[in-house]
Amino acid sequence: MDMARSEEQQMIIDTVRKFIREEVRPLEADIDPDGSEVSPEDTERLRQMVKDMGMWQMSVPEQYGGPGIDLVTRTMVAEELTQHKAGLYAPAFGAFGEAPPAHLYDATDEQKEKYLYPAIREEKRHFFGLSEPSGGSDPARAIRTRAVRDGDSWVINGGKLWNSGADTADFGIIYVRTDPTKGRQGITAFIVDTDTPGFKVNRLIQVMRVYHTTELSFTDMRVPHSAILGEEGGGFALANDYLARNRIPYAAECLGIAQYAHELAVEWSKQRVTFGEPLASRQSIQWMLVDNEIDLRTSRWIALDAAAKAERGEPFRFESSMAKLLCTEAASRVIDRSMQIYGGLGMSKDMPFERWYREIRIRRIGEGTSEIQRVVMARDLLNVRSGS
Amino acid sequence: MRIRKEWKPWDPSVDFKKVPGTMGVYEIADEQHACIYIGYAGGTSPHGLRGELYRIFGMPPGSETWNWSHPQPDGIAPELRQRARYYRLEENSNAYSRWVECLTRYREDYDDVPELNHDARAPRVPYLGRYHWKSEGI
Repeated sequence: MDMARSEEQQMIIDTVRKFIREEVRPLEADIDPDGSEVSPEDTERLRQMVKDMGMWQMSVPEQYGGPGIDLVTRTMVAEELTQHKAGLYAPAFGAFGEAPPAHLYDATDEQKEKYLYPAIREEKRHFFGLSEPSGGSDPARAIRTRAVRDGDSWVINGGKLWNSGADTADFGIIYVRTDPTKGRQGITAFIVDTDTPGFKVNRLIQVMRVYHTTELSFTDMRVPHSAILGEEGGGFALANDYLARNRIPYAAECLGIAQYAHELAVEWSKQRVTFGEPLASRQSIQWMLVDNEIDLRTSRWIALDAAAKAERGEPFRFESSMAKLLCTEAASRVIDRSMQIYGGLGMSKDMPFERWYREIRIRRIGEGTSEIQRVVMARDLLNVRSGS
Repeated sequence: MRIRKEWKPWDPSVDFKKVPGTMGVYEIADEQHACIYIGYAGGTSPHGLRGELYRIFGMPPGSETWNWSHPQPDGIAPELRQRARYYRLEENSNAYSRWVECLTRYREDYDDVPELNHDARAPRVPYLGRYHWKSEGI
């Protein structure tokens, strides 16, 4: 299998790398220790540069006005985009634009007019509402938010938890039980406007990085039948597909900050002298750096393999779970070792490690915990081996 | 170190949804741009910095009402709500310790904490002792 970059991919990577190092990193000296935004003027300047590069909203297909860059290349780019202090959760400070949820490309024409096109133009923001207080890892059983048909509309009651961005979104895709007798086939996806009467942001839940998720409640929230995304009862399959696809770039992003941490650690180990010798001369440090390199290279291959399978239209759920598991855990180890090599400086806010250390920990839980990824893989593995 | 930002007025130019809902510290100034209060939004703040500023200022003039559970101004001194005109903030996961640091820095510069931080819930603000120095431009 040839995993070498094509000439075009190499050109894209070089362009993005230069952009991150020369345009994005210098701006970080002036932001808050945990800040994720630069000034509106800098944001606009960066965005214009990205548009001039032809990389604005990379995942948007050409037929919708985007560059339609393939998933393998986007996976490579995702690793480059996060290589700065705020990079994991604010890659390039949003300069590459936010893409709409992929399911909207298969929405009805009416839904595309109302949500997809405004989302592409960044006039409307969205959120994804799956998890509930009763759980998130087992949506087929945990979803208790209920929609009841009433003529040509549905009345929704219940709530959602851990929804990123719901407090500022214009609409959300929520997964609701429409038939309590049908298990996973009884779940339906609805597109709901956040100004619908009955929709309420109860509170923001602060987490270990400077960010918040939301707790939402729906009280007699009435939405039209036309708000259903896809088929009635088809919500579980939609959510599964969304999660599997999202895991690949999610995994690759982790490698970006890990790669940057590793590069910093390599440089530091050559500069820092203890007991008359540079750290790099100590075998204990050399082994940590080599372990970093092994973690980075192996997990990068797994992420690219998952992306390649998805791009070829082959089953990729196992591979995307493996990529998510390996990349998040490998990146955690790399950041931990790099911080250790830096010693006292590593835990200060003068350096990015303490921020990355907190942020990368979230990645082993978000988008499905490491344990859930193993459950997903075990299901596929055992089904195959049992000949089913 | 103080919050290194310009004062911003709480007026129709404020895009309420863009005020961070995260943890962090904030300073409030009166009409004369004098800092009168330093506060923080910690881990249990129901709407983060956005909610804390709402409790002091209310919705920015001209802003629409919104589907959220509006936090009540319990515990906010009426005088603070009356005199507050400007704000500046800093997103910070170490909200409490950064709050104490900002109060400490302010007292080093002005020999006292901001006037509306004199209440029973004020933290024990440490003295810097032999490390005492004042910020530039004070």
